[in-house]
Amino acid sequence: MRAVAQLGAMARFFFGALSSWRRLPKPGRRVTFKILVKQVWFTALQAIPIVIVLAAILSFLLISRAVQELGRLGATELIGRLMVIAIVGELGPLITALIVTGRSGTAISAELATNKVMGEINALEGMGIEPAQYLVLPRLGGAIISVFGLIIVFDLVSIIAGLVAASLNGMATARYFEIVLASLSFKDAWLTVAKGIVFGMIVGTVPSFHGLSVGNAATEVPVAASRGVVVSILSIFLASGLFVVVS
Amino acid sequence: MTSVAPLRFENVSLPGLRDGRFSLDVPAHSATSVIGKATTGVNALGAIALGLVNSGSGRALLYGEVVSEMPRHEALAFRRKVGYLPAGDGLLQNLTLRDNIALPLRFGSEFSERETNSRVSLMLSLFGIDEVSERRPAVATEEQRRRAALARALAFDPALVILEQFFDGLTPRAGALLLDLALGGVSAEGSRRALLITGQYLPDRLKPRIEHTYRIAGGLLSPDD
Repeated sequence: MRAVAQLGAMARFFFGALSSWRRLPKPGRRVTFKILVKQVWFTALQAIPIVIVLAAILSFLLISRAVQELGRLGATELIGRLMVIAIVGELGPLITALIVTGRSGTAISAELATNKVMGEINALEGMGIEPAQYLVLPRLGGAIISVFGLIIVFDLVSIIAGLVAASLNGMATARYFEIVLASLSFKDAWLTVAKGIVFGMIVGTVPSFHGLSVGNAATEVPVAASRGVVVSILSIFLASGLFVVVS
Repeated sequence: MTSVAPLRFENVSLPGLRDGRFSLDVPAHSATSVIGKATTGVNALGAIALGLVNSGSGRALLYGEVVSEMPRHEALAFRRKVGYLPAGDGLLQNLTLRDNIALPLRFGSEFSERETNSRVSLMLSLFGIDEVSERRPAVATEEQRRRAALARALAFDPALVILEQFFDGLTPRAGALLLDLALGGVSAEGSRRALLITGQYLPDRLKPRIEHTYRIAGGLLSPDD
């Protein structure tokens, strides 16, 4: 029952933040946009190296083993499905969202919780600045753009690393691209886009919600940070499961 | 000079206190202070005036309007008419002192970036913090932070300023300097701001400079001698 109430509160929080965009004063849009750009810098651009490394290692290992094993069975064309379904469709969005949660979800929760404890939220409201517009909206937008962008990076690197792995195991480049592209459907592409948006929404909303839910004690900051990340991870896995069911 | 009080509390009781109601006018162009122990709820007065906290009973009228009854977006826009320095200064820790002062101007005014920067530079000089303007609040002294928070509260040059725990932690000399800056026009009464100062402490040396001083205890307000 408590979990349902929490989910409802989080949904209200998300739609409240989203609808606050309509009432954002024109000069405020400039400020919010600048913060959004900073968020994308911290969340996406600084995370690119780790995403590249993880995508390359994962894809290289998986495709190397697959080429060897499937080659024995004479079913190397299944590498394409493996690449598209397992890496591009499932692991790419999931691992990327988890990386962003670990790096930025913690930061968002801790930062907003500190804002609350230090009386900064009260001060913003006293100055006539809506905290949802100034604090939540750019983080939400930044998270969506970042997760989406990083998923594309992950997928591209995975395909290239898969190519290297396949080539080292005796597969021709043209054959590799032929079976990967043949396995890629319009539905797979749309699912990846949808996952990028939904996972980004989770990474932007859940840590912000938990960060702003603290009271006045500094001891609540680490608790909020931890709760924000744990609930985000859980939500990402649940959403990933829902995508499988729906698609 | 007589004019309508920009801020009026009518039969207000403070949150958490069952007994005691009071009314108070904060007249235009003069300073009013309400002093009391932290347990009296005195620190909630500013938040009640701005509609950030609901009073136990009664209402607060800001320029004749009850902000707490306004739709949220209207209340936010209305609060920009008032300067507000919350207890603990409320400066954003991830911004420099300069950016903290510029924030309300950047968010709520049509000033260009150049105009905002020039106005902020002027305020930094006026408040004596131009040399530390690029510091973040965590590495500034308490007095520098209070100066920056006051400059931010005065960014729109409001006619009414609410200052919470304004003198706490300041020397009487620093308090006097900041009080003069908060009041504005010293020689022309018409250009002076109305101040509501709340807190636990009012330096004796500054009492003569504040026209109306009250003490709050048990939810009741009485003139402070």
